[in-house]
Amino acid sequence: MAHFAVTAVGSDRPGIVAAVTKTLVDHDCNLEDTSMSILRGHFAMMLVVAGPIALDPSALEAALVQETGGFDLVVAVRQIDDAVPASPEGDAWTVAVYGADRPGIVHAITALLADIGVNVVDLTTRVIGDAERPVYAMVLEVTLPPAVSPQDVAARLDEQAAALGVECSLHPSEADIL
Amino acid sequence: MPARPVLRLPEPVLKRVAEPVARIDDAARSLAVDLIDTMRASPACVGIAAPQIGVSVRAFVVDVTGHKKAKSCHGEFVLFNPEILLAHGPVAAREGCMSVPDLTGDVPRATRLVVRGLTPEGEDRVLSVDAFEARAVQHEIDHLDGLLFIDRVTSGDALFRRKVYR
Repeated sequence: MAHFAVTAVGSDRPGIVAAVTKTLVDHDCNLEDTSMSILRGHFAMMLVVAGPIALDPSALEAALVQETGGFDLVVAVRQIDDAVPASPEGDAWTVAVYGADRPGIVHAITALLADIGVNVVDLTTRVIGDAERPVYAMVLEVTLPPAVSPQDVAARLDEQAAALGVECSLHPSEADIL
Repeated sequence: MPARPVLRLPEPVLKRVAEPVARIDDAARSLAVDLIDTMRASPACVGIAAPQIGVSVRAFVVDVTGHKKAKSCHGEFVLFNPEILLAHGPVAAREGCMSVPDLTGDVPRATRLVVRGLTPEGEDRVLSVDAFEARAVQHEIDHLDGLLFIDRVTSGDALFRRKVYR
């Protein structure tokens, strides 16, 4: 068994998932972790699939493009490592950032987090509000290493947010196991 | 009575609607002891429902003593045939479950509840619970209806990988 990263993006309409997964099933691929969402009207699919060792990624990519032709998807398939890389351990926190849209918000916030060893495990951004006054909203799920103090992270985020002219908050999102 | 193994997905009993007890008898009292022992076997565990130990009966135990998010706290209690009489104010918070490995999710739950059920002594008991104790009670009652927290998450965005608990 080999693992492949598959991405496909196209104008949103019914049937995209069914079409892409039909080709994957026909190539004996099994879906593992996937994430699919609408990004500015485009349906974007990211999939990690397990497939036969003999499967050629470029042949799968060509088959996906051809067999989902009616959807005019942008498709890419690459083979990836079979081993599951371990993410750094620590406590789960959520960072919310929002403010007037301007280039560089994601980079400034994530560069700060990377600098202090905070790992991003999930990130969603949306432009909300009306066209005249767009608001940029970002929610990050992060892992704080045990040695990093949340107060310190919050203080540095506040400082960076003030420099960017945006609002920022940090709150714990550790789950309770019931 | 020893603690029993906690069953995990895809065990079918977790998705079944559990049966009410007809009366509190020795079997019911023995189940109550098993629920308590199983909860005590995992240090961070605040509740267990009977289906999680393979018994498709409407019973659970909860104990939120010492939990930092708890306000009301009735200590350890087992209820049979629990019913929610009143519920107010849904709020989302992140939950995981011993029966669902690897995932956590943001689940809206009422923050205040009045719940009624039978105790292992066969008495009718009415409890007013809030905050974390209310969340725990709703999570356990969901187990009796074959519902897991993943049946309650509000969107795909609300599912997260769970860290490894030791």
